[in-house]
Amino acid sequence: MEDHPYHFFSPDELDQLERIEEAGRANEYLYRILDIGQYMLQCGGEVSRVEDSIRRLCLSFGAERADVFTITSSIVVTVYARRFGAVTQTRRITGSAYDLYRLEQLNQLSRRICAEHWSLEQTEEALEAIRSARQYGFGVQLFTYALVSSSFALFFGGSLLDAAASGVIGVVLKFLDRAIRRTEANAFLSSLLCACLGGLLAGLAVKLRLGDDAGMISIGNIMLLIPGVALTNSLRDMFSGNTISGLMRFIESILLALTIAFGFALAAGLL
Amino acid sequence: MDMLIQLVTAFTGSLGFALLFHVRKEKLLLASLGGLLAWGVYLLMGLATDQEVVRYFAASVVLTVYAEFLARAVKCPATLFLVTASIPLIPGGSLYRTMECFMTSDLEAFSAQALTTVLLAVAIAVGMLFPTAIFQLVRRARIKKAPEIPGQERSPLS
Repeated sequence: MEDHPYHFFSPDELDQLERIEEAGRANEYLYRILDIGQYMLQCGGEVSRVEDSIRRLCLSFGAERADVFTITSSIVVTVYARRFGAVTQTRRITGSAYDLYRLEQLNQLSRRICAEHWSLEQTEEALEAIRSARQYGFGVQLFTYALVSSSFALFFGGSLLDAAASGVIGVVLKFLDRAIRRTEANAFLSSLLCACLGGLLAGLAVKLRLGDDAGMISIGNIMLLIPGVALTNSLRDMFSGNTISGLMRFIESILLALTIAFGFALAAGLL
Repeated sequence: MDMLIQLVTAFTGSLGFALLFHVRKEKLLLASLGGLLAWGVYLLMGLATDQEVVRYFAASVVLTVYAEFLARAVKCPATLFLVTASIPLIPGGSLYRTMECFMTSDLEAFSAQALTTVLLAVAIAVGMLFPTAIFQLVRRARIKKAPEIPGQERSPLS
C-alpha cells in the first residue's frame, strides 16, 4: 500500500471488499454444486449419497466446513471459510424419475471434480454434456412396457395368452402416459387414468377371449404403475437415519398405490 | 416348471425395469442377472424354511452383496444394481392387493395384507442394510491412513 499514491480504501476496507468478492465466488460455486446435487436427487440418488457428494464438492472447492441437509424435496447447504464467511443456499426439488445412467455419470463427475479441482467453466460444460446425453427412444420404451407387463403376467402365474394381452395393454398405457405427461398433469391423476384404462382393457380382453384371467393380465400392468421400489426405498431411507425423506416417500407410495387400486376398482365398476 | 418360468421372467422383468431406468450396455445384463439371482435365492430358501420374511431377507442380503461387489468391479453406484435387481422381490403385487382390500372395505383382509406388505418391505430394506454397512466398514478401514475430511463429524447412522 505504501508505494501507491492514491488509496481510497483503508487496508481494513480493502480486506472487506475482498471478502465480499470471495463470497460472491463462493456463491457461484455453491450454485453449481447444488445443480449437481439436485440432478442426482432427481435421477434417483439416495439422500445420503447426495448429501455426501455435496459436502465433498464444497470442501474440494475450498470450504472449511460444509453442512448439508437434504430431503426428497429440498436441499439446504451452508459453507463456511474464514476467507468469505458463511454462505447459504437452498434449492427446492420437484419431480424425480429414475435415470440410473445419468446418476452414474453424475457420481463419476463429482468424484473427478473433487480429485482434480475443476474450474467453474469445466464443471458447467461437463454438467451440460450429461444433461444433453441421448436417452432410449420412444420405441425402446414401448418395448420395455410390453416386456415388463408380459414378464410379470407370467411371473404371477398367468397363461401365455394373458402375457400377450398384458404386453399389448402395456404398450397402450405407454401412449396414454406420454399424452398425459405432455399436459404436465398431476402424477396421481396420470396413475389413476392409466389404472382405469388398464382395468377396462383387461376386462375387454377377457370378454373377447383374448385373455384367460383379467387379474393375471392386470398384474403385469400393475407392476409398471405400482411404487414398489419407492416403498422399499422409503424404508431403507428411514433405517439409515433419513426419517423425513423416508416418511415422505412412504406416504407418497401408499397414496399412489391407493390411487391405482381405485382406478382398477373404477374400471371394474364400469364393466 | 413354474419355478423355471419364474426365474426366466424374473430375468426379463428386471431387464425391463433396467431399460425403464435407463441402464446401459453391459450393466443391463448384470442388473438382469441380479434379478435372476435374487429370485433364485428366494426359491432355494424355500427348501430350508417356509417363512416368507426369512426367504425375502436372505434373497435381499445375497443381492446386496452381489450389487456391492459389482459396484466396485465396474465402478458405478451400487444403487444401480440394487434398484433394478430387487424388482422381482419388491412387494408390488402385495401392495396392490392391500389397497384392493381397502377399496372393497374388507378390513380383515386389509390388515392382514398390509402387515404382509410392510413386513416384506422391511425384510428387503433391512437385508440391504447389513452388507452395505459391512462394505463401508471395510472401505473405511482401508482408507484409515488417509487424512480425514475435516468439517463435519460422521453421523453414527450413516
